[in-house]
Amino acid sequence: MARRRYISLLVLLLGCVSAYAESDWISKGLHIPSVEVVGQRPMREVGEQRTKFDSVVLKENVALSMADVLAFNSSIFVKSYGRATLSTVSFRGTSPSHTQVTWNGMKINNPMLGMTDFSTIPAYFIDDATLLHGASSVSESGGGLGGAVRLTTKPTPKRGFGLQYVQGAGSFLTFDEFLRLTYATDRWQLSTRAVFSSSRNDFKYRNRDKKMNIYDDEMNIVGQYYPVERNKSGSFKDLHILQEAYYNTGKGSRVGLSAWYMNSNRELPMITADYGEDTEFDNRQREHTFRGVVSFDHIRRNWKIGAKGGYLYTWLAYDYKRDAGNGVMMSMTRSRSRVHTAYASVESEYHIDKRLFVEAKVSLHQHFVRSEDKNIILQDGDRAIVGYNTARAEFSAMVSARYRPHERVGIGATIREESYGRKWTLPIPALFFDATLSKRGNLLFKASATRNYRYPSLNDMYFLPGGNPNLRAEQGWSYDAGLSFSVGKSEVYKLSGSASWFDSYIDDWIIWLPTTKGFFSPRNVKRVHAYGVESEVLLSVRLARDWRFEGRATYSFTPSVNCGEKMSEADRSVGKQLPYVPRHSASATAKLSFRSWSLLYKWNYYSTRYTMSSNDYTLTGTLPPYFMNNIALEKSFSFRWADLSLKGAINNLFDEEYLSVLSRPMPGINFEIFVGITPKWEGFRRRK
Amino acid sequence: MTRRILHTLFVALAVALSGCMRWDYGIREEFNASPSGLFIVNEGNFQYGNATLSYYDPATRKVENEIFYRANAMRLGDVAQSMVIRNGVGWVVVNNSHVVFAIDVDTFREVGRITSLTSPRYIHFVSDEKAYITQIWDNRIFIVNPKRYEVVGTIECPNMAVESGSTEQMVQVGKYLYVNCWSYQNRILKIDTESDKVVEELVVGVQPTSLVVDCNNKLWTITDGGYTNSPYGHEPPALYCIDISGEKMTIEKQFRFAIGDSPSEIHINGAGDTLYWINDDVWSMSVTADSTPMSPFLESGGTIYYGLTIDPTSGDVYIADAIDYQQAGKVYRYSAAGEKIDEFYVGVIPGSFSWK
Repeated sequence: MARRRYISLLVLLLGCVSAYAESDWISKGLHIPSVEVVGQRPMREVGEQRTKFDSVVLKENVALSMADVLAFNSSIFVKSYGRATLSTVSFRGTSPSHTQVTWNGMKINNPMLGMTDFSTIPAYFIDDATLLHGASSVSESGGGLGGAVRLTTKPTPKRGFGLQYVQGAGSFLTFDEFLRLTYATDRWQLSTRAVFSSSRNDFKYRNRDKKMNIYDDEMNIVGQYYPVERNKSGSFKDLHILQEAYYNTGKGSRVGLSAWYMNSNRELPMITADYGEDTEFDNRQREHTFRGVVSFDHIRRNWKIGAKGGYLYTWLAYDYKRDAGNGVMMSMTRSRSRVHTAYASVESEYHIDKRLFVEAKVSLHQHFVRSEDKNIILQDGDRAIVGYNTARAEFSAMVSARYRPHERVGIGATIREESYGRKWTLPIPALFFDATLSKRGNLLFKASATRNYRYPSLNDMYFLPGGNPNLRAEQGWSYDAGLSFSVGKSEVYKLSGSASWFDSYIDDWIIWLPTTKGFFSPRNVKRVHAYGVESEVLLSVRLARDWRFEGRATYSFTPSVNCGEKMSEADRSVGKQLPYVPRHSASATAKLSFRSWSLLYKWNYYSTRYTMSSNDYTLTGTLPPYFMNNIALEKSFSFRWADLSLKGAINNLFDEEYLSVLSRPMPGINFEIFVGITPKWEGFRRRK
Repeated sequence: MTRRILHTLFVALAVALSGCMRWDYGIREEFNASPSGLFIVNEGNFQYGNATLSYYDPATRKVENEIFYRANAMRLGDVAQSMVIRNGVGWVVVNNSHVVFAIDVDTFREVGRITSLTSPRYIHFVSDEKAYITQIWDNRIFIVNPKRYEVVGTIECPNMAVESGSTEQMVQVGKYLYVNCWSYQNRILKIDTESDKVVEELVVGVQPTSLVVDCNNKLWTITDGGYTNSPYGHEPPALYCIDISGEKMTIEKQFRFAIGDSPSEIHINGAGDTLYWINDDVWSMSVTADSTPMSPFLESGGTIYYGLTIDPTSGDVYIADAIDYQQAGKVYRYSAAGEKIDEFYVGVIPGSFSWK
């Protein structure tokens, strides 16, 4: 109870005193923006629940992945298996596979798994990120039973040559490097970005899940202690390269290319209850992924057409090896998968008049997947591979209309139809409504509803052993309604916020369950009722002449309850919160700036997460709530020839022992420093 | 103004600091278990590290859960596979933790552990100073010295690659040990416990899951038949009776099931004259029967039974229901006549048992 009061107090405190600015007025010395006028809100956003992240948030730290950014700046749940290890996100009490993710319009959910690993998306590669909650995701993609994450890159706005280099070094032999080269003219914008991150990642922690024994000569235990261990088998090396090229014809057309290559080599950390030695085992995941999108857009005063073509390739290798005792590592598991995806889409928008807007989009993702999971010796002595090889086309078509019959009222409707293989989902409709209740304070009421479907992933249907080709698509009804406001005074402060209630039912939830043959197989089983509240407060304020304060606070209440039928008479999971879904989560960031100094504080909180569907509190199966605190101090220097920045960050400021996932160790307090340089070519020339 | 801002900052930090997560560690409970009872090995979920051990006293019908954690203030580990009791010491094989724990069966306190294992499944004692530990994803059976808790050697299994290596349950008749090879395998191996060598192999059906020996020194195994689209083959599962009295192992009887059935968990009562197994329902059959029964010993009631054991003294039948595999499973106790006697919740995925 006391803890709840602390949370309430902190949310209130940060909500009241924190500040947030939509533009980078630390580096640019810009003004606090004036409050936007409701009537000027884009027609396409009528009734939608969106959360946007600008470059200030995304470019805060070169070492951050999108998982880190979302954990501290949004209300969605980030489930992390450790540092540089699988991190998934989920909206509104749903599962990670209910979150659809697009990058420059192309869906990047792994078609085999259905989910996206956000730890492999460097935030420095994303220029614009938007969360589309619930029904709002239907405009972007079907299948987002929780929502969708839209990630985009943008042309550089600066003319001429540009260069930015950031070098980071941190605890556990962690090194991060970021380089961006840009060149832009009136017509051309070119950009090359590269990120390289590596770490031994062998942080120390007190392992309280196991004990070490002290024996006497008779092999009797005479003492035991919890060992201080290092995170075993946790090193990683990730390289990302992003090339962009845009050409603007000057006549309303733009052609763009975005190509992103990733090479990742990560050890998979041992769990805390593993008594194996990391020198005896090699547990490693390697990934090569290429994502490329070519786009064409033609924009006129009141209409726009666009087309995209893309290609995605992923090679994923998982190796689990064991030292045979002679120094030779023998392969226990050798898994390989290859995914080729071709993508094409055509879209158009038309503002018929100021009150009516329509858009349509058709997209196709054609996947070719080869999954090799195990090498075996057959009964006749030949060798074979256990796996599957399949292709699937995923088609999606959407038409949408937004109408504003009155200055204060907007309504909208979207309908989407999707197919996977030879199967079609039922039409996915979404309805939107908003109304300005008060122009003073821009008080806006928003509501939306949808019936959405998510079809099974390729592993769900074809994985050997266990794939179930007879699975049905998961389906869900979702409703939400909320209020938002925005007040402020130019150059003084801006305060905005939103709170929304949501309610959704998901049927035929797909869960992998063990079979009597010793492997897992997916089944449509649960009916889930997910409901609750999402809220957010943003504030930017000029506190004094040289002082700025900007911040964001979020809070979510997300009961996600199994309301299906009992699996047997003994089943105690009905009416209980789903495992690993916290009922409460909150985050806050606050940035205090004084001239060229800035201090950033980040905080987040997750309530107890159950690991058992019956929500039992057990010694071995409950994850206690935790708070996480990070802090960073940055100093900028501006010379004639370059801008320099120096930054120090402390993560897990209070050295908290915490777990995000059972038996997965997390690092205690750790440190990072960053040095950044952005040369000014004009200054160089003047010196010459 | 600057002072006020700094003061506000300090207060915010203080509030954040006050909310850190709290853990309780190191509390060990004292136990004094009944002279006879049943250990239930709860696998837990793969990679969760939430395997547990339960203890049930059939006389008082009282169950204690999480006894390993409560007695030792540490986790049992990840995927507890099996347990064997010898001379007052319980040996718990924890597969994905790469460890076999030895515990006092009265206090549940750890007395030692064997490590340096690949992926252990079962342990069998040849003598006080020699035991075998079978593995999955390894083509070797490990030889250990239980007194020193150390690996002293290995037995190479023929015609088996490391990646598809699988040796499972062991029974011993005389100086020979018999092992069923399960995952992508189809054989019973015969090992000379004096030379620690595989001396014979017998091909049965696809994927023999378990192995027992009856009162007539006949081996019984039950195959699961593989699965649809398995490159190794998918065939009707079968129950096999194997004669081991001659120089060569021979299949004496074979009882076929329908293709798609999933029989597993062959067990035998204390007298060694009645077999039990799971095939959706729980079935029982005399070792002298010439055909499998028409009706089950116990119907499944819509759930998937996961574990089975027979009280060697009373003949009571215990059946484990893993329910949805993410909550505490339930164990049902029936008399040999099929009447329900008791039921109790244990840990996540109760898979195997051991009688004290």
